[in-house]
Amino acid sequence: MSRILMVDDSKTSRRILRGILEENGHVIIGEAVNGVEAIEMFKSLHPDITTMDITMPVMDGLTALKEIMEYDPNAKVVMVTAAGQKTKMIDAIKYGASEFLTKPFEAAQIIEIINKVSQ
Amino acid sequence: MFGLYFGKYLVEISKISQEQYIDLIKQQKNTRAKLGVIAVAEKLLTTKQAEEINNLQKIMDKRFGDIAIEKGYLLAEEVAHLLNLQGNPYLQFVQVCTDSNILTLEEIVILLENFKAEYGLSDSDLDALKSGDIDRIIPVFVTKNSSLCYDCIGLNIRNIVRFINNNIMLKKAYAVKSYKYDALSCQRMNGDHNLFVGFAGVGNNLVEIAGPFARENFDCMDEDAFDSVCEFINCNNGLFASELSHNDIHIDMTPPLFYTNGKLASEDDICVVPIIINDKQVDLLVAVDSIVDIA
Repeated sequence: MSRILMVDDSKTSRRILRGILEENGHVIIGEAVNGVEAIEMFKSLHPDITTMDITMPVMDGLTALKEIMEYDPNAKVVMVTAAGQKTKMIDAIKYGASEFLTKPFEAAQIIEIINKVSQ
Repeated sequence: MFGLYFGKYLVEISKISQEQYIDLIKQQKNTRAKLGVIAVAEKLLTTKQAEEINNLQKIMDKRFGDIAIEKGYLLAEEVAHLLNLQGNPYLQFVQVCTDSNILTLEEIVILLENFKAEYGLSDSDLDALKSGDIDRIIPVFVTKNSSLCYDCIGLNIRNIVRFINNNIMLKKAYAVKSYKYDALSCQRMNGDHNLFVGFAGVGNNLVEIAGPFARENFDCMDEDAFDSVCEFINCNNGLFASELSHNDIHIDMTPPLFYTNGKLASEDDICVVPIIINDKQVDLLVAVDSIVDIA
């Protein structure tokens, strides 16, 4: 079981992801809708894993990832991407992303990746 | 899908009522066309030959295809071909029309010719509609002026069939420079090309996309419903950007947004593809390398 912070501006995505994660025994400890909120909540909640959407208003997921990794180099951040964000995925790897989840979500893929990252 | 097109036409010419149309569409989903109906519709047997075989089946325990082969009416390969067509949407529609005694096969053949002429469809257009194959149906309604625009439209329509509703009807696409909307979810993409992709609908019509994608029932276009349509667009555009990147074309997605009661104004054309989902129209809007202002 992991304590997870979800970061996504889409309520639909957060609802679907929450459902899949909770059904598989994980606990959602917070939801943020942009990068600024994500950094604040990461610092206050200390999640085991953070799922981070890339395309968000106010502050995007890559900028938030960079700041989180500077604050805590051991942070486990799983980037959530729509397909086709190859350049941004490369940047995310450079900044220290642990893994990637692709939209639209597939339960089996999500659980496999979260379990892998939580080990 | 064929039933939607042809059925609507039958309602328009008062050959069937709206209630009969709705009933036929419902029945079509659970119908498997009979071999005799398919054979006549495919013009491999005459109605008389099909009736003869049907009558023979009353006195001998044999399959329709086997009797047709024995009588020398069909070859084994032709029977195999007809069996493959049993799930075909056109033939399913023909089957429910004849089973319900609404139309005979002969009437359907004549009405199909009228339908073709009325809508200016070629033989290959009609074949595309009969096939139910969305990749063949799209070019009937969308002209390929720009490859990028056409490919983007194709991907969005295929994903509607995949994720939203597999029984949709397209109307002829057209181009505009301004477009008034009640409800609009859209996303811009920038990079080697600038793209604008949106879905718009009158009143609450966009719930036909929002509901199935979020797997929720929405009564109206509230914030959650808009969010669902935005996320659907975001996923489609992600796949499109991915396809483009294989050809070394790179575009970045901006966050999708939604608006109500406004107007789009574009320097160049916005392609509008009307899509009918559950009898409600939503418009797919795509503009390539054009500055689209949202007011």
